[in-house]
Amino acid sequence: MSSDISETDATPCAYTDYRKGEQANSLTETGDDATGLEAAVWNTLYEIEDPEMPISIVDLGLLYGVSVQDGVAHVEMTLTYSGCPARDMLTEQVEEAVAAVEGVKDIELQLVWSPEWTTERVTEQGKEDLREFGLSV
Amino acid sequence: MAATFENPADLEEREQMALSTLLKRLGDDEFVLAERYTEWQVRAPSLESDLALANNAQDELGHARLWYDVLEDLGFKERSLVFEREPSDFRHSTLVELPFEEGNWADPILRSYLYDVAEELRLEALEDSTHPKIADRVRKIQSEERYHLEHAQSWMERLADGDEGHERLQDVLDRLFPHALTLFEPVDSDVEADIVDLGLRDATLEELREEWLSVIVPYLESLDLEIPEIDQTDDDKLEVAVDQEMLPDERGRDGGHTDAWFDLYDEFTRTYRELGRSETTKIMEKPNEQ
Repeated sequence: MSSDISETDATPCAYTDYRKGEQANSLTETGDDATGLEAAVWNTLYEIEDPEMPISIVDLGLLYGVSVQDGVAHVEMTLTYSGCPARDMLTEQVEEAVAAVEGVKDIELQLVWSPEWTTERVTEQGKEDLREFGLSV
Repeated sequence: MAATFENPADLEEREQMALSTLLKRLGDDEFVLAERYTEWQVRAPSLESDLALANNAQDELGHARLWYDVLEDLGFKERSLVFEREPSDFRHSTLVELPFEEGNWADPILRSYLYDVAEELRLEALEDSTHPKIADRVRKIQSEERYHLEHAQSWMERLADGDEGHERLQDVLDRLFPHALTLFEPVDSDVEADIVDLGLRDATLEELREEWLSVIVPYLESLDLEIPEIDQTDDDKLEVAVDQEMLPDERGRDGGHTDAWFDLYDEFTRTYRELGRSETTKIMEKPNEQ
């Protein structure tokens, strides 16, 4: 490599106020704080992969929320594309898997569309999985 | 009373009618346009244009489904909305049902342009809809629609640049323009007023049409295309008087359709009927259910 320019001399812009912020994709729901039955539902969702790529639908950023009340799991999710041909396949897979979680009596799945899905919603783990698959993200 | 569309079961008849009418206008336009676009698959002028139009068709099918989903809250099922519905119950504009002139690429391009400008405007008028599910869907659709207009315009400009292409565009414009006006025709004028009164959409059909004309007329003129029967009385101000005589006999929205629609309907429902289907999305039973 001919370029060996060290970046260690780089200094932050003097006119900008730097603060520690939240991570860009921190809006993506991944269920990290979930406990009990909700955590079990998240774990199950983690095991479901996108139909075309080896990435969990949670890391892909499709999930908008999970709550369990009186044994009924409410799952809000989106799809990357409104014309997704795998829509029914994926929603049925989610419904079946969540319904099979011990303690869950029923599942209500709602597809939501805003804020719309973009690649920003993919988690760091998801990006790694996609890179390994050969995609540049 | 202030209508709330959170709970579809609580809606009064007037609210249900306004909602279902709006959704049929939206969903049917998208569905039928997609049906027509797919006719160009493997026939478009180049591989890229073929894929682009096929992809737009898939987008429109996705959007039709987003609108039909909301209709399902009112008790409709996908099969009753598409494959088992009376063709005269469809509320799309005649612009989307007309067959293409064979081999005339200017037709889908200009049709897409006229339609996509109208769609952009009506989506804007739905952004703050009082129905949460409608508002929820708008941005997703907008983000997928932007390319459509870009696609149509880049082709329009290429076509208008040559003599033959320009002539074709003008012929198609003469033929399609009256049908494009039906995009803004009422299904029923009382129900259309309710759609706005209830805040489902915040612009009237007349306002949308005026806005549409103020976008398309200058653009078409910039390509040296003449808009049929439009009188421009003042150079600075666009004076467009749309009278009923400019409209075609069939308006689509009111259930009156051209013969071409009934043929298209027979065609896309044929397989469903011949195979005796009763479900739209199941190709076969799951092995463990047989």
